[in-house]
Amino acid sequence: MAALNPSSSSKLQLFSNVSSRYSPSISFYPLPKPAVSFSSIALVRKTLFSRNRNPRAIVSAIKKLAETELVPIPSEDSITGIIPSDSGVYAVYGASDDIQFVGITRNLAASILGHKKSVPELCSSVKVGVVEEPDKSSLTEAWKSWMEEHIAATGKVPVGNEPGNSTWVKKSPRKKSDLRLTPGRHVQLTVPLEDLIDRLVKENKVVAFIKGSRSSPQCGFSQRVVTILESQGMDYESVNVLDEEYNYGLRETLKKYSNWPTFPQIFVDGELIGGCDILTSMYEKGELSGLFK
Amino acid sequence: MSRASRIKTKLESALQSAALKVEDISHLHADHAAVKEMVGGANETHFNVRIVSRDFEGKSLVKRHRMVYDLLSDELNSGLHALSIIAQTPKEAGIDISGE
Repeated sequence: MAALNPSSSSKLQLFSNVSSRYSPSISFYPLPKPAVSFSSIALVRKTLFSRNRNPRAIVSAIKKLAETELVPIPSEDSITGIIPSDSGVYAVYGASDDIQFVGITRNLAASILGHKKSVPELCSSVKVGVVEEPDKSSLTEAWKSWMEEHIAATGKVPVGNEPGNSTWVKKSPRKKSDLRLTPGRHVQLTVPLEDLIDRLVKENKVVAFIKGSRSSPQCGFSQRVVTILESQGMDYESVNVLDEEYNYGLRETLKKYSNWPTFPQIFVDGELIGGCDILTSMYEKGELSGLFK
Repeated sequence: MSRASRIKTKLESALQSAALKVEDISHLHADHAAVKEMVGGANETHFNVRIVSRDFEGKSLVKRHRMVYDLLSDELNSGLHALSIIAQTPKEAGIDISGE
């Protein structure tokens, strides 16, 4: 068994002030994980002695910050293959190659894209370190090692990680729940379903009757409608017409109510504006913003 | 007669069409859950329709699409699962019909 030299054991020392003053911000942006490999991102697995009961502990270590490759941040359509969707840490650099922020994420690609969208002027390039077996402590350890390395080299913390700086902390809005027309299938309705529909579309600015839920549409047309409405930052209500428990009988009743035989159906100010085709057409012509005001 | 032919015939006989294109894209939705539930005509479920007609003049998109849906209601009730519609007037489509 190889013996550790004294210099490597000193690297295991942690700066207590770092952990107490600068807590990492974990961001979660779901993106589908591409099935590609990233040869440029190396994982180093080391066997180290430690003082705990286990004589040997396997620690997944990322590359040093200084040794990690700095890559330009790609646009959304070309990010696949360049930045992985794995868990890990990342360091964002500005146009002058100045470090702006070191973060932790469950999805590197999604987080970096999110930052690029919200503060594009600060996001020129990035370094990423994929953390294997990403439990919370491994991610935190990786983040600390990069922070400590930067502090040791520059004597200061990245501006984005300073206390009180909320530039890089994005509180993503909680997705709305779909509306339900009835308390359940077994409950006898005292009001006809038509009246419930009528009240629903007139009391809400935008209502989308879709196949599936907002978070999991069940057909491509409903998915496209959700994507368009979300991209417009729309505050809209959604109703799952496939929900046989809480929206039983809705499909047939709505077809008669709207005189429209297919789904999705989008209502604005109580009036049907059409299905996926019409919404897409209005979106492409830039007519949506005027309609939703 | 195939569904595509029936769709074309119904639209042509009811609307003065300057252009009509009926495209069967069912193969792109072969894994669609609803498609698997069908017995007959399982391969004629998704269509793109582009029709150019003077009958659409002065009508909103909703009205135009309703016109097309009404003409194809039998198909929608017998297995046609999804219909994408582009409904334009000759002017919108850039078609010169002054020669008629």
